[in-house]
Amino acid sequence: MDVIWQGIKEGFLLIIAMDPELVQITLLSIQVSVSALLLAAIMGIPLGTVLALKEFPGRKTLLNITYTFMGLPPVLAGLLVFLFLSTSGPLGYFQLMFTPTAMITAQVLLGFPIVCGLTARAVMAQPQEVFDTAATLGATRRQASWVIIRESRMGIIAALTTALGRLIAEVGAVMMVGGNIKGETRVLTTSIVLETRMGNDSSALAIGMVLLLIAFLIMLLILSLEKRTFKDERRIQIV
Amino acid sequence: MNAEFKLFNISKRYGQREVLNIDNLEIGGGRIYCILGPNGAGKTTLFRIMSLLTLNDTGKIHVLGEEVTWQKNQVVRLRRKMAMVTQTSFMFEGSVYYNVAYGLRVRNTPAAEERKTVNESLELLGMMDFINQPARNLSGGERQKVAIARALAVKPRVLFLDEPTSNIDPASALDIERYIQYINKEMGTTIIMVTHNLFQARRLSEEIFFMWEGKIIEKGESEELFEHAQDKRTRSFIKGEIVF
Ligand SMILES: Nc1ncnc2c1ncn2[C@@H]1O[C@H](COP(=O)(O)OP(=O)(O)O)[C@@H](O)[C@H]1O
Ligand SMILES: [Mg+2]
Repeated sequence: MDVIWQGIKEGFLLIIAMDPELVQITLLSIQVSVSALLLAAIMGIPLGTVLALKEFPGRKTLLNITYTFMGLPPVLAGLLVFLFLSTSGPLGYFQLMFTPTAMITAQVLLGFPIVCGLTARAVMAQPQEVFDTAATLGATRRQASWVIIRESRMGIIAALTTALGRLIAEVGAVMMVGGNIKGETRVLTTSIVLETRMGNDSSALAIGMVLLLIAFLIMLLILSLEKRTFKDERRIQIV
Repeated sequence: MNAEFKLFNISKRYGQREVLNIDNLEIGGGRIYCILGPNGAGKTTLFRIMSLLTLNDTGKIHVLGEEVTWQKNQVVRLRRKMAMVTQTSFMFEGSVYYNVAYGLRVRNTPAAEERKTVNESLELLGMMDFINQPARNLSGGERQKVAIARALAVKPRVLFLDEPTSNIDPASALDIERYIQYINKEMGTTIIMVTHNLFQARRLSEEIFFMWEGKIIEKGESEELFEHAQDKRTRSFIKGEIVF
């Protein structure tokens, strides 16, 4: 119990003191995961929409592969990126191992199937009437697709939230391809592992608190976004 | 008659079942048409084929003098000359304003004109008070009125109305009938509507089609058909012996 109290106390002190090393680690965590999320979104939202709306051979298979990869273990994502980027790998020439770029790449691999799969689900859940209404009002296919995406935006925001939560909290991939190098590739989750290994349980717990705080702030951001977007949304009332 | 639609041997199947089979139909020319018939007769399917929402399995269809080839640009160009109030009056997420403005936005209408047209359309349907309300929260009848305003806003040459007053109270329904007649007379819009209300059909339409199991079993000038229906199913329907 002592360790826990010590950790909480230390955590507060660290946060209040804005310890420079902790700030740097925190910012890198956010930078890596948010960059990965943005890249995953740029590819995943359009691709998920196409998988949901366009009829082509292999569509079902691609969807199933996407759903499977939604559960990709982070270490496996790390391993795949490692095989490509390590000096003997096909992209070894670029010397990207143990850089934030490698970490972002691995996290894109984790985030992309989540964004893509959940976007496809959200779009497929839309009724035929969305297209019909847009078409009878004169929309082109492209315009109608836009309105379908617009109608799916609650589900797409949920997809982004889920993916970001996964990325900011994962340790396997960033550890594997980042290497937890102090000042370069150390992020919050890898610091926790390190501190625990070195026996600094309360420090580990303190960093964990920072991680929770970030999760909380992200949730606040998304909630305020949702409030703006869904201020008119009718909720199911159970009386 | 300057028919906007010409259908030749149009048929449509869903699985094994043929739900539509129309050998020859000309319709249009600024008149008001009513389509009558029981549930499942194929009325909505016919609407969907004429408004280029569903592909016909066999046959040919001419819309506004062009044979429909389903080439992308042609479909959009032709669709932009028609509008439809669908049976469910589906509303997009967003305000009543957004919904009514949608057809204008996809046509890149200037903002000032958009606002003016939306206001006029809502005014006509008595829905101005709801302009900033979320459209999904409206009652069924209010939604139908907004759907009609939304269709009118694009000033279509042909207006399809699929049971447009099914959820609307009798007084408002009469108002809507008046708007339908008004836009038909003032703008020369061809009106094609499905209704289960015989009185409404009689009041409004110049021509009536009676559908049964995917076929048009009787068609004719409204008064003529009401007075001297040929088919015995139509006759008993008109006399009120069968109630759908
Ligand atoms: N997308 C569809 N898939 C399968 N069956 C359909 C579909 N749309 C309509 N049908 C069937 O076709 C028949 C005609 O439907 P519809 O045109 O909607 O009838 P109406 O509008 O006259 O009530 C109905 O029996 C209906 O169940
Ligand atoms: Mg119908």
